[in-house]
Amino acid sequence: MELTKFRDQLFAEGEKLGFTELELYYEKQESFGCDIFKGEIDNFESSSVSGVSVRGLYNGKMGYAYTEKLDEESIEFLLKSAKENAGLIEDDPEELFSGDAEYKKANFYSPSLEEVTAEQKIALLKEIEEKIYAYDPRVVQTNYATLQNFSAETAIYNNKGLSLTDRNNFLYVLFSVVVKEGDEIKSGMTIKVTKDFASLNADEIAKEAVEKALSYLGGKTYPNKTYPVILKNEAAASLITVFSSSFSADAVQKGQSRLKGKLGEKIASDLVTFIDDPFLPEGIRSSTFDSEGVPTEKLTVVDKGQLQTYFYNMKTAKKDGVKSNGHGTKYSYKGTIGVAPSNFFIEPKDKSFDELVASIEEGVIVTGLSGLHSGANPISGDFSVAATGYFIKDGKIEGATNYMTIAGNFFELLLDVVEVGSDLEFSTQGIGSPSLKVKGLTVTID
Amino acid sequence: MLNKSLIEDVLQAALSTGGDFSEVFVEDRYTNNMTYRTGKLEKSLSGRDFGVGIRVFKGLKSVYAYTNDFSKEGLIKAAKQAAQAISSASSEKTTILPLEKEIVHNLHPIELMPNSVDKARKLAVLRKANDIVLNYDPQIAQAIIGLIDDEQNVLIANSEGKFVEDKRVHSRLTITAVASKGMDMQTGFYGPGAQSGFEFIENLDLNHYAKEAARIAVTMLNADPAPSGKFPVIIDNEFGGVIFHEACGHGLEAAAVAKGNSVFANKVGEKVASELVTYIDDGTLKNEWGSINIDDEGEVARKNVLIENGILKGYMIDKFNGRRMGEGPTGSSRRQSYRFAPTSRMTNTYIAPGKSTPEEIIANTEYGIYAKYMGGGQVNPATGDYNFAINEAYLVKNGKIDKPLRGATLIGNGAKTIQLIDMVGNNLGHGAGMCGASSGSIPVNVGQPMVRVSEITVGGREA
Repeated sequence: MELTKFRDQLFAEGEKLGFTELELYYEKQESFGCDIFKGEIDNFESSSVSGVSVRGLYNGKMGYAYTEKLDEESIEFLLKSAKENAGLIEDDPEELFSGDAEYKKANFYSPSLEEVTAEQKIALLKEIEEKIYAYDPRVVQTNYATLQNFSAETAIYNNKGLSLTDRNNFLYVLFSVVVKEGDEIKSGMTIKVTKDFASLNADEIAKEAVEKALSYLGGKTYPNKTYPVILKNEAAASLITVFSSSFSADAVQKGQSRLKGKLGEKIASDLVTFIDDPFLPEGIRSSTFDSEGVPTEKLTVVDKGQLQTYFYNMKTAKKDGVKSNGHGTKYSYKGTIGVAPSNFFIEPKDKSFDELVASIEEGVIVTGLSGLHSGANPISGDFSVAATGYFIKDGKIEGATNYMTIAGNFFELLLDVVEVGSDLEFSTQGIGSPSLKVKGLTVTID
Repeated sequence: MLNKSLIEDVLQAALSTGGDFSEVFVEDRYTNNMTYRTGKLEKSLSGRDFGVGIRVFKGLKSVYAYTNDFSKEGLIKAAKQAAQAISSASSEKTTILPLEKEIVHNLHPIELMPNSVDKARKLAVLRKANDIVLNYDPQIAQAIIGLIDDEQNVLIANSEGKFVEDKRVHSRLTITAVASKGMDMQTGFYGPGAQSGFEFIENLDLNHYAKEAARIAVTMLNADPAPSGKFPVIIDNEFGGVIFHEACGHGLEAAAVAKGNSVFANKVGEKVASELVTYIDDGTLKNEWGSINIDDEGEVARKNVLIENGILKGYMIDKFNGRRMGEGPTGSSRRQSYRFAPTSRMTNTYIAPGKSTPEEIIANTEYGIYAKYMGGGQVNPATGDYNFAINEAYLVKNGKIDKPLRGATLIGNGAKTIQLIDMVGNNLGHGAGMCGASSGSIPVNVGQPMVRVSEITVGGREA
């Protein structure tokens, strides 16, 4: 059944059943993924999946139901289930957005990306892989040689007049290279996220991945102590990702955030400004409206160290007596409304990465973190995680360190930032950071 | 769910570039998910998943595409996209065989289809379990009760003429009790599940399951730290089988064996375990959580003896990995949904009962650890090295169960641990769990009677 016909019939029958407000949320996702290994396709998957969820207000309570099949049977199923769920739910009430707002005009969909054929994508993977093997005799093989392409289409309609549609797409290439010298085996990974296939340069990607892996060879051990640390952009972004939930009003209201009661207070160094920008042209989480249909806006969340606002959806905003700032989020039509950032990042400053390194007499560069899911407590901010990186001596990189553990507290770390680099980089989750120089972290080197 | 001639067209389109086998998997699933947290129904979600997965083989190459655009154009497009990756120079073309419907013999009778039962009736069970947990002890701070049920209708057809449909119904109640004292917090969990309708939930002995979850939380709140070192370890029945599921079961799946990434590869006929051990995967057990009528390639479920009296007898094999191994399928191919290509997985896996009574096993242990309920863990599939938390542990002293212990972890290697089993009890029991791997998260049972391992390293806080 056509989506608009499905919607009209659902709303008409729903109103007859006694629903006072009804919303239809639609999402369609297409993906293409391919892995290669030694010139052969190792894995190949393509998908096109869509679904709708209905939210309906019945006797003042919100009921949810979803379906992936648009037919008559589903209309009956959705209304019956949403009504039954609404009748039983005992959580705080939700409401639907009126739909009379102004939305920014923007386009985050790159039509040229969809014109790239599977053959072109596979050819690029093969080209990069060949260049990786040719780059250095110490290359053993690749752990990952992957390309993924996603596109998503979202629409929200309600019986109060709301009618919104949006599209986004992106592609990424990920290579992990294994190198060996003597008995020592190391790996290095590189990932490129883009909306412009032509911007991917095989030589550059191969070089970056191999050189990263090689740079970890010959790792040395150094005394365990508190060192000044440079969290390289990617490592800083992955750390912020874990703790970004602390900025959600939902976490604050449930007492699960250390930022509770800190509005207007200093929570970070004067050098730290956190921006949430839903309008970044290259942003993978860019959108002009959120999952409730509320217009999104660019926010300065932390201004020169001072906490300005939390992320709100309609329900948490009502509780705090404020307006939603467009952060209602559903992970898909199968989920309920939560709170999450869009493209969230620390604003870059002037200094290059090399200048940051030059400013340190003795210290450590952290290039990657692992074990963040078990080794970091998103509520308290405490973390103790495995890290890869280099040792700095007299303003120069001396070489790789053996496997490290770095431990500290995220909220203390924000206050201890002494330099912010110029090299802003985003993760595949839309969270970004430039390299950060931190006063000191406890470093244990194996 | 889809008509035969459309499926034939899709199967043929998938072979248009030289593939030698194609398969269509159609799924229509209804799910309900309710969460009741300390006196409040916090979440009640209902959904219908519908989609089609298309798989194409060419020799040892496999390609997968999925969609829920079930129009003819949508399905043919998906099939052609999958075929793109096969592109073979040879002009040989495989023609599909005419589809012939097979009738499935249902092993798992369902009385009350989950979607035919009022949610208010489901809520009554959640409330009752909540009340039992909260009233168990003043130290209980929270009760989180979940009810998940689903009805999955599948249609599986392939280019070899297979055409089969089945209905699978699952129901599970999960009970989490949280006990607290000052800043200290401990949880207890029990999650019975079955390939059954709502009758399973309504007939559950909540007085047993809810009280056990609460009792575990309170017992652990008042337990001493576990010691570290090597000890004889007694692992009780039901969910205790999770260690052998992770550390041995996964190593017996063709997904690991076919490429030689398993310690059990090429060892059929050899002694791989203590002679007390017979290890079985049986998808046919009536109404059990991990049971099936047919697997996700349409093969009939069966009882596979993997290890018999310590000797390796065979593996769990799916069609694709079977090609590499030169062996036929064993009714073991499973997937979470149409969004996943299937691979060899477990169903209900268990150690067969032995002769000792649980009392004898404990009486015969001078000093050791008794793991009454196991928790989660991790295994490195290539090496079999594992670590598991024990949810409820006790010290065993002079043949008697002594004080409770907390923070105990078992660390070892699956292939070695299974050699060290020196007593096997007669109290076989199964426990429900969700198993995650490359083809998604699927319901499985782990099971065993009480077993004793002569030595496992226990990691605790006390030296």
